Amino acid sequence: MTGKMQGNTMNYEELVPGYEFPPTSYELSASLVSKYVKAVDGAGDDFVPPLAITACAIATMAGSISLPPGTVAIHASQDLEFFKPVPIGATVESHIRVVQKIARGKMGMLILELEILDRGKEKVQSGKATIALPA
Amino acid sequence: MVKHITQEKINLYAEASGDFNPIHVDESFAVKTPFGGTIAHGMLNLAYVSEMMTAAFGRNWLAGGRLRAKFKEVARPGDTLTISSTVNSIDNTDGVSYANCSFDVRNQKGEVVVAGEATAKFSRGQE
Repeated sequence: MTGKMQGNTMNYEELVPGYEFPPTSYELSASLVSKYVKAVDGAGDDFVPPLAITACAIATMAGSISLPPGTVAIHASQDLEFFKPVPIGATVESHIRVVQKIARGKMGMLILELEILDRGKEKVQSGKATIALPA
Repeated sequence: MVKHITQEKINLYAEASGDFNPIHVDESFAVKTPFGGTIAHGMLNLAYVSEMMTAAFGRNWLAGGRLRAKFKEVARPGDTLTISSTVNSIDNTDGVSYANCSFDVRNQKGEVVVAGEATAKFSRGQE
């Protein structure tokens, strides 16, 4: 993934409802899509598989959260809506916001809203992700 | 649709998505976690569902598709996943037809790895 994110690593405590991760722009290059399609045993197309777009956005966001050593964050659920096909080679921008934070013992659940826009600022997809991680 | 999970595919998926969480790609790290070894990315397991929907609905999935998924179980290298979907109903709204589907991804033991619902616009030619 060729991406660009401005901002620092966040601790779990700093992720409060309303927090917006710095917008990230990334190019959905032919080589990225080719790797993705090979990884998922997919069929090639002129358009980027929609979940490739989501995966890049979530991975960049997750990479900006600092976790205690030896612990992991787990994707618990995902809602998505796709609005328009994205051609290979396009650059998109992801916007992710914390909408809810739930404590469950030693684990926390972050509920995030995500929106992905194309260069013309048209919505490409939107959704909601629930991530379980050490509180 | 049947898919085989391998560490090679997980590594490739990590490269494509940029998700190098060690639980997916670092066996020495993963073996010390409650999972006892590396696991596939949840979004990789869900990607198979999207691929199936793309095959069924084409561009109507890419523009107008919706899904809600829960990741219920992990998939590991060596697992064989079977991806299934059922059209439960068809709605008509403002002259547009929508297929409402349920789906699941099961491993070789029959355990549900991912489950959820999806909706896609539906053209008469896809009946």
